[in-house]
Amino acid sequence: MKLFEHHQVRSVTQAIRLLERYGGRAKLNAGGTDLLGLLKADVLPEYPEAVIDIKPIRNLKKIKLEKGLLKIGALVKLADLAESSLMRSQYPILAEAALRIGSPQLRNVATIGGNLCQDVRCWYYRYPCHIGGPILCLRKGGNTCPAVRGDHRYHAIMGGKGCMAVCPSDLATALSVYDAQVVISGPDGERNVLIMDFYYPLGYALQKNEMVKEVFLPPIPQSSKQKFIKFTLRKPIDFALVSVACLLGFKGDEVADARIALGAISPSPIRAYGAEKRLIGSPINETIVHEVAEIALRDTKPLSGNGYKVNIAKTLIKRVLADLRFNQKVDR
Amino acid sequence: MSNPYHCGYNLHSKTLHTASPGGGLKKTRQSKIRLHVNGKLHDLEVGDKPHQIKPSHTLAHTLRETLGLTGTKLSCDEGACGACTVLMDGKAVLSCMLLTVECHGKTILTIEGLRNPETGELDPIQKSFIEHTAFQCGFCTPGMIMSTKALLLKHPHPSEEQVKEGLSGNFCRCISHYHVLEAIRALTGEKGHS
Repeated sequence: MKLFEHHQVRSVTQAIRLLERYGGRAKLNAGGTDLLGLLKADVLPEYPEAVIDIKPIRNLKKIKLEKGLLKIGALVKLADLAESSLMRSQYPILAEAALRIGSPQLRNVATIGGNLCQDVRCWYYRYPCHIGGPILCLRKGGNTCPAVRGDHRYHAIMGGKGCMAVCPSDLATALSVYDAQVVISGPDGERNVLIMDFYYPLGYALQKNEMVKEVFLPPIPQSSKQKFIKFTLRKPIDFALVSVACLLGFKGDEVADARIALGAISPSPIRAYGAEKRLIGSPINETIVHEVAEIALRDTKPLSGNGYKVNIAKTLIKRVLADLRFNQKVDR
Repeated sequence: MSNPYHCGYNLHSKTLHTASPGGGLKKTRQSKIRLHVNGKLHDLEVGDKPHQIKPSHTLAHTLRETLGLTGTKLSCDEGACGACTVLMDGKAVLSCMLLTVECHGKTILTIEGLRNPETGELDPIQKSFIEHTAFQCGFCTPGMIMSTKALLLKHPHPSEEQVKEGLSGNFCRCISHYHVLEAIRALTGEKGHS
């Protein structure tokens, strides 16, 4: 790793003041599991002059339930999310998504804020600088995305605008189902951004002087059934090829509330609103399940070599719905 | 402490200082970090001289190169293989993915610290690994054993599932996993649930 200055801060205000002083030439570090990889391979367009450790900030480490709103501090660790009894009973999608990330060692240090802000896993973007120099893609000031004509088996099948890298965060997929908001702190105070709007084609909604402070989740419908499935090539330490999160509320046999989120198929997590609409008011049967899967994926534009992800996504949606219907019947 | 930009690793330094952008490394003079490694206290200076800890040093680097504890192995150096696993405050972490300057005040346990310091007797986990030949080339073994240690601290009688989950972050290119599972099973009994 090349050298950098190192600072530790004890409050969000201090962190933001330092970010301002460095004017975009500093990086915040929480768990470090993503940032250190980026620094070691020197893949960032500009190597940071300073690294600011935000772990000492105390008030960002709690999961709190306030007036029905669930607030998760940016420094809550993935292991704590996965093991929290509140998360497992009320927000099982988020707990399961956290549990399926990385390995136990990574989850012991990685944080929710860091997971949301992690850099894309595109192998052109991540190409180590010390082996023949960087591959200048759109994210690094180049003109084209090398993945479009290159090997893009893990890239976006919809929503790519220039850069075809997908959002690597499983938590973002999970949070989409809960309509979670990301609280962003900056020099001018705080603002909230819906998780689906947090990801831009070439980055995040974060300005260079801002940081993620917490995430909050509005109340979820009573007695809803929830399920998260992540499709990977290896079980541990792998990123999703496709992930699906689904929350269903039932009235008798009929679906009263439906939310479906798809991850790792686009630069941001996708809510399948059309499919949700189709589900509401009908019982879950084979015809509906097939129809819903088709509707959810109808806007996809896969590249020449990643059309298989469309089929995986459809299959996962069918699996998730079948599973939730089964659960629902068992419960009654 | 009055300085809002003080560096965490100068908690033991005599002079507090501001770090200014563009000022280079010279600003990190004479600050110290304290590590408890295997029961021993180490006060390490931070700076850019050869004997000092640079802010860019990982814990794995410090353990191996500064403290000479080469039992902790470095393989992928990007958090994917688990060879560098150590225990930090009782939890398994990857020492290649931590900056030493951010570990101030932490308690670290490495493979060297497992044996009984007085009698020299090996930890039951180490004994069981030896008994079951739970390794081939042995490079991943320190990481495997440290992950097992963390697992057994949390679940003294883990189920098969918990063992597999607990060791899911450790790769072995020689496929010693089956023997590792046997070694752990022998150690914990086949009781199942914790």
